[in-house]
Amino acid sequence: MIEIEIDGQLVNAELGEMVIAVTDREGISVPRFCYHKKLSISASCRMCLVDVEGAPKPQPACSTPIAEGMKIHTQNEKAIASQKAVMEFLLINHPLDCPICDQGGECELQDVAVEYGSDVSRFSEGKRIVAPSDIGPLIQTDMTRCIHCTRCVRFGSEIAGIMEMGATGRGEELKIEPFLAEGITSELSGNMIDVCPVGALTSKPFRYELRSWQMSSIESIARHDLVGSNLYAQTYKGNVKRVVSGDNDAVNETWISDRDRFSYEGLSHENRLLSPQIKVEGQWKEVEWDVALDFAVKGLNRNILNSRNMAKLGGLASNTATLEELYLMQKLLRKMGCENIDHRLNVKNLNNTIHLKSTIALADLEAVDYGLIIGANLRLEQPMINHRLRKAQLSGANITALNVKDFDYNYKVKSNAIAPSEIANTLAGVLKILLDKAQQELPEYLLAVSPNKQTVELANELLEADNSVLILGEHLINNAQASSISNLTTEIAKLTNSTTLNLTATANSIGAQQMGFVPNSTGMNTNEMFETDMCAFLLLDIYPEYDFHHSATALSALSKNDVFVISLNSFSNELVSQYSDVMLPMAAMFETSGTHMNIDGKMQSFLAAVSAPGEAKPAWKILKVLADLLELPGFHYENSAKVMDGISHQSVQSHEYNTSVNLGDQTTLVETIWMHSPYQSDVLLRHANSLSISKIGQINTASMNASTAKTLSLNDKDSYLGVPVEITETMADQCVFVSSNQATNIGGLK
Amino acid sequence: MFNGLKKLVNTLTLSELRTGMKITAKELVNTKITVHYPEEKTPISPRFRGLHALRRYPNGEERCIACKLCEAVCPANAITIESEMRDDGTRRTTQYDIDLFKCIFCGFCEEACPVDAIVETQIFDYAFESRDGSIMTKERLLEVGNDNEQVISKARSEDSKYR
Repeated sequence: MIEIEIDGQLVNAELGEMVIAVTDREGISVPRFCYHKKLSISASCRMCLVDVEGAPKPQPACSTPIAEGMKIHTQNEKAIASQKAVMEFLLINHPLDCPICDQGGECELQDVAVEYGSDVSRFSEGKRIVAPSDIGPLIQTDMTRCIHCTRCVRFGSEIAGIMEMGATGRGEELKIEPFLAEGITSELSGNMIDVCPVGALTSKPFRYELRSWQMSSIESIARHDLVGSNLYAQTYKGNVKRVVSGDNDAVNETWISDRDRFSYEGLSHENRLLSPQIKVEGQWKEVEWDVALDFAVKGLNRNILNSRNMAKLGGLASNTATLEELYLMQKLLRKMGCENIDHRLNVKNLNNTIHLKSTIALADLEAVDYGLIIGANLRLEQPMINHRLRKAQLSGANITALNVKDFDYNYKVKSNAIAPSEIANTLAGVLKILLDKAQQELPEYLLAVSPNKQTVELANELLEADNSVLILGEHLINNAQASSISNLTTEIAKLTNSTTLNLTATANSIGAQQMGFVPNSTGMNTNEMFETDMCAFLLLDIYPEYDFHHSATALSALSKNDVFVISLNSFSNELVSQYSDVMLPMAAMFETSGTHMNIDGKMQSFLAAVSAPGEAKPAWKILKVLADLLELPGFHYENSAKVMDGISHQSVQSHEYNTSVNLGDQTTLVETIWMHSPYQSDVLLRHANSLSISKIGQINTASMNASTAKTLSLNDKDSYLGVPVEITETMADQCVFVSSNQATNIGGLK
Repeated sequence: MFNGLKKLVNTLTLSELRTGMKITAKELVNTKITVHYPEEKTPISPRFRGLHALRRYPNGEERCIACKLCEAVCPANAITIESEMRDDGTRRTTQYDIDLFKCIFCGFCEEACPVDAIVETQIFDYAFESRDGSIMTKERLLEVGNDNEQVISKARSEDSKYR
């Protein structure tokens, strides 16, 4: 730490840090366009010129390192004159179309021009025009406005990991444009809108709708993945009109994924469920809230409470629910004496699950020197976690992936296409080598395992690393040896001192686990409920054709005549209206206050940004009133924050898991992994139009290699389980990886 | 005493009557300045701030580009604008309402407009018969603009050298 002088004021600074970092910290304003704290320094705009005593010419603050005894003037005549000169040059080619520019009012150039620009331009020649190009459904370009700060180019190459935007041409011909005709496809592309200091890149769905000053910004938390990215929902007249990223270095730094940024579009979809409805003699009737709730309570009384048959009541909730909703729902059910509670809807066998504990914080992922990704397409499934791992890789970490397909990573990954049934065996092989090296006794199940080249390599890599992480992903959720994989991973982590990360269930599932939204020893899990003759269900935001692994079984169980189903839904859905007896409209993301728990166990509370449309109410309120009507004690909550107070007093139940390892043989000829495509993972996303027409939203393929296709006698014009076949040699043999934007097919649903 | 005497003399000599009749006689031959409103109207300054209008370009295209600066500058919050992208990709208003009950006729909207779309005309003698008549919708504003374009453009050009 040394002391330097800025504008006559003594400030502390680190030797070697950039002048602009110090002025920003001290609150001294220095204009800039190309400098961004999370991107590399290009010093191309020259707007931040400051006068450094002793230097003959003004120096750019963003690329001038602090040195001993520096005296800097940001406001003297020389600095101001050079900043004004730069501004004049920047404005030569910048069009005067602020009135129709969406950036108007929040434009860095506009703000700086007010201070440093001249009122009349001395440049009377023609301005340069750049032809517009369509770069996808999310970002609108107006490259005539571009001032060549290259923030978007640097964002692409440094953060998104694919350099989709680039500077072509020289001098007057210099253009920032995508290299490929397909435009921008990155899963983080929306951040380019945030980093662009002018109106060259703006949000397409938001185009021409509002001015920045018309909206209120409300802090919120994204609930589409395990990160809980901080963001601002910008609202106008009770509607979310735009989402921009928030800052939180422990969570999402300053970036958010496109999924978090554009999902708000779903809120105003015509399919929203707007009024409470009850089914009377097979006909749906829109009614008042009190009638609907009364109907629900009577139904519960008739089917369950009067006969004291609590074991015949089941409660299921979606992972996207808030902690409060999950807590209140399980409290409601448990107070009634019902233990059939579950949030794990898409798991084939709930006695065979991944139950690995995550032991590494998000921010620490950047510091690992080895990462083993098993069964995850991290880049699309957990973009922000992938971003952290990418940072680790760029600073030297080795990343290996064991996936059914060589997914497209935006950093260097040693990828091994491996059949799902091979994963447990491979891990067992690794464990055997590790135990051998540690000269520990081998458990029985490892005796028959013979290490091969791959396992030796993996074991060596793990042993060489000091700070490794083992990551289990969503593709393992229905693996035949899920539980074994989980146990093997735990053992390997113990032996190699690795940390672990369990990404198998997304959104708020960690919160659901913490809230006890799983059956205890006497209760039934999702699959057991559907195999038993139940009398009533309470469902929270469930859409059967997408959410359940066993959709067909679920549907037939729910559709039985004597089953009374209360559905809380944010969107209307044909199947829900087929089996439900009461449909209660609930608030979606941004419309309810609540809390999200992320992978670190960090609880982030948020307020409602807007009120729910129509008659819809926040689900925590619905559940509270339902509990009151059922005359259950302990539901006197005034607001959702009061619910949170109750939660912090709750002790978390521990669960016992199967710790045995079973390395069974493969039973089916061709193994299939079914995943929803990344922009179809929850109901709000499925209704977000711009996302669904983007490149990633359009993914709908059943990938297999040529030999698998031959086994199944398919070619690339056919479809497999209703999904178009894509033949690619990046797949493991005799495996199919389905990434679908259609309803679940695997349960036999048409 | 003295005042009483003066008053008596004035009364007897009919002096007030003669003064009055002198004015009457003078005005009989002088030019009349009374304006017979509404048949006649006084001249109006080109800067007069009367009823609002939305103008069009000579080719018929509406000028307003929905920049919302008038809405932002309006001290009485009288202007409400909703905008969208028209099918041809241009930025246009879908709603442009001025509430005449709120408007204080300050002329800031006109000052703020970068394309001279919203203007205040010289029309001051307007009336409405129901409360909702106070809302000048986009259609009505454009109609006022269409009907008075000549007057509006003349006033703008007369005033242009002072702007």
